[in-house]
Amino acid sequence: MTTQTASRYTAEYSKIEAKLPGGSLPWLLELRNDALKQFSGRGFPSLREEEWRYTNVSSIEKNLFEPRLEPSDQQIDKDWLKNYCLADCWQIVLVDGYYSAELSNLAGIPKNVTIKSLNELLDADAEQVESYFGKAVSIDEHSFVAFNTAWFGDGAFIRIPAKTLLDKPVQLLHVVTDPNRLAATRNLVIAESMAQAQMIETYVGVDQAYLSAAVTEVFVEPNADLTMFKLQCESEKAYHFGGTYVKQSRDARFSHHNFAFGSLLARSDIHVDLGHASECNLNGLYLGIKRQHLDNHTRINHLEPYAVSREVYKGVLDDRARGVFQGRVVVAEDAQKTDSEMNNRNLLLSNDAEVDTKPQLEIYADDVKCAHGVTVGQLDEKSVFYLQSRCVDEETARNMLTFAFANEMVTKIKQKSLHDLVLAEVLKRFPQRGITQDWL
Amino acid sequence: MSASAKEIEQLIGKEYKQGFVTELETDTFPPGLDEEVIYKLWKIKNEPEFMLEYRLKAFRHWQTMKSPEWAFVKFDPIDYQAVSYYSAPKRKEDGPKSLDEVDPQILEAYKKLGIPLDEQERLAGVAVDAVFDSVSVATTFKSKLKEAGVIFCPISEALREYPELVQQYLGSVVPTGDNFFAALNSAVFTDGSFVYIPKGVRCPMELSTYFRINAANTGQFERTLIIADEGSYVSYLEGCTAPMRDENQLHAAVVELIALDNAEIKYSTVQNWYPGDKEGKGGIYNFVTKRADCRGENSKVSWTQVETGSAITWKYPSCVLTGNNSIGEFYSVALTNNYQQADTGTKMIHIGKNTRSTIISKGISAGRAQNTYRGLVKVLKGAENARNYTQCDSLLVGDKCGAHTFPYVEVKQPSAQVEHEATTSKISEDQLFFCQQRGLSAEDAVSMIVNGFCKEVFKELPMEFAVEAQALLGLSLEGSVG
Repeated sequence: MTTQTASRYTAEYSKIEAKLPGGSLPWLLELRNDALKQFSGRGFPSLREEEWRYTNVSSIEKNLFEPRLEPSDQQIDKDWLKNYCLADCWQIVLVDGYYSAELSNLAGIPKNVTIKSLNELLDADAEQVESYFGKAVSIDEHSFVAFNTAWFGDGAFIRIPAKTLLDKPVQLLHVVTDPNRLAATRNLVIAESMAQAQMIETYVGVDQAYLSAAVTEVFVEPNADLTMFKLQCESEKAYHFGGTYVKQSRDARFSHHNFAFGSLLARSDIHVDLGHASECNLNGLYLGIKRQHLDNHTRINHLEPYAVSREVYKGVLDDRARGVFQGRVVVAEDAQKTDSEMNNRNLLLSNDAEVDTKPQLEIYADDVKCAHGVTVGQLDEKSVFYLQSRCVDEETARNMLTFAFANEMVTKIKQKSLHDLVLAEVLKRFPQRGITQDWL
Repeated sequence: MSASAKEIEQLIGKEYKQGFVTELETDTFPPGLDEEVIYKLWKIKNEPEFMLEYRLKAFRHWQTMKSPEWAFVKFDPIDYQAVSYYSAPKRKEDGPKSLDEVDPQILEAYKKLGIPLDEQERLAGVAVDAVFDSVSVATTFKSKLKEAGVIFCPISEALREYPELVQQYLGSVVPTGDNFFAALNSAVFTDGSFVYIPKGVRCPMELSTYFRINAANTGQFERTLIIADEGSYVSYLEGCTAPMRDENQLHAAVVELIALDNAEIKYSTVQNWYPGDKEGKGGIYNFVTKRADCRGENSKVSWTQVETGSAITWKYPSCVLTGNNSIGEFYSVALTNNYQQADTGTKMIHIGKNTRSTIISKGISAGRAQNTYRGLVKVLKGAENARNYTQCDSLLVGDKCGAHTFPYVEVKQPSAQVEHEATTSKISEDQLFFCQQRGLSAEDAVSMIVNGFCKEVFKELPMEFAVEAQALLGLSLEGSVG
């Protein structure tokens, strides 16, 4: 079945092929063809693949999502979109996978900083794209990456030159406006040596079924410092695949905060390759309600010595939601003095909710400090009792504790506008637990 | 870390002392496996009718299966047609009635292994069933066990004497088609131990089986079935060794434990199959399926294993916690050195209410070895208040080895509490320095620290085994420190 439905997409490919960007560039054409070949051979990942054993994507195969072939001229509800446009940020907005100059706000970016649509750059300076494209992730990684490589229509290209400090975050806003739409975007983010920047990826869409498939390649060059936030608030009928593949050079610092709130089925990949003495922080929060399926896949490759990695993922699952956490830390043979910690905490709130977690350590060096921990359970009864003994009724006590459990990840956000937006999204998902007032 | 390279060389070169071969006349089937072989096997073992069907069913299923590839081990494909599926010491028609009739050379071999069977009767202690290649050679202490109503005999004998009992339970925990190696075992198993503890009986002594592969080019496929009836208790020990040979030998055993209401089974293993030489040549492929079903309420099964041998270990002693309030435990020390590979762990399947499980796993990897913990904790929807605690620690000795931890946690019940913790580190320089400063040699210090690292598991082992395990650990590890 897999190959048959995959070929539905493959069969459609010939129709769109000519319209995809970069058709005149031999390297890109070749890459797309290889990716297409790879995808038509394997189809979308199946449960038989170890890295996909908890996530069944067959419904993506059953629905044939159609890509838009050129930028949309459709009017979108700007008032609604405004909710997600953060103040004090530069915005680059992708509508149905295509750059929208009208909605984007790039006024006043420093001259040496490049923030452009990928298509624009492919026309103007393809060499710059070529030197990074596909260098942080290969099409062999899995079928979604191959799919994205063959199908992508546009994306963002962000480059912070050496020794530049960006004083405002860059928000990359993905919006899907049509039902049954496929938005395949490819983004490149480069923080050159000693640069410092913050980036916010936001995913939103209409209340319909659509597929958003984004691949973001990130390069953090020596001594650069990059912080990325991903706020995934897709519609509850939508499908989301978002892969972030990071290469960290010597002494580079990278932090990623992943908030997986939306989608019917969402899969998020964060893979980081660590260079010598680099540092990486991965934080995540997934809140599942109704029939949501939220899969978080992280991999940290300690390739060189002295790197430090810290990872904390938390999940709250209610109703019939299912949460998945798969985290892998690989310490290569030469990566001595590695220091790595991974933590995954899950709270199950309903009898029908489920969580599957798979933290993994793969270690080939001896002089390392690696640990991981996982818990699945309920709220601490002692804490509930403590609050009750202070005249808080049981339900409120539980709500407070649940909220506090999730809020720990939200408080890590220092940028006020983003913090408020994320908090609002958390509260939207647990209205009965809306207890931010007074005591906090 | 003061030992010089030369000393290390010497220590690594330490002989596998159980690596002798016993010259015996044996009845051995020519290598190969087809339905004919299975029929012959069934015939020669004089088994009841249902077994032929059972074996053939398993064999047919096995033919449709592929050798699993998901484990973190590497080996060349095994030619299952090049293995002989039956090898028995030649003997008189009826087999030994008592120890006097057992071939003295076999007894000599066991003596070398440190289990003098004939002394067992005099020493108060352990009842031993010894399995040599494929057949059970002698079971000591039979009479005393009989008094208590305990059945402890080779499974081939049980099949003849208690066919209904065996039929009822055989394959009920590990079905014939469970996995590739279990299917193969179900088709060709030749012998093993059978234990039945009747209602309310506390087995008066510890039961023990010693396995030994002797003949070349044979595989050992033993089958152990232990049934603890309501309110009973048994502690069972298992040990294994094999001669040193250049080619790899296959060991694919199946162990099934069944604990009924309020019963408790304690199963301890010290596995010391020949691990191959220091270039990774030879050694046993240890592909074992062990599973316990805590079928009754308040039942308890505890697995303790010390894995120091085998070229490859592929083994996941598991507990299916079906009964309410049942308890599953898994304590493991897995030590790999040179080119050994171990992929071992456990599965705890929580089905009943208030079920509890504990997993303590200690992996030590030295030389060029790869040591993997792979475990599954699964809490099904009905398992209210299930509780699991898992702790996996790995110790790395040397910079060419690997230690991996692959836990799987699947929870469908909100009242369940599941905790998993894992750490990987090397022996701390501070600890070593402290010990050396107090006058211990580096070797002794390492040995002490490693023993301390494994203490939580060793304390679960019965006395005799704990001593053996500590000695084994020292022997297998000493050479690798530098």
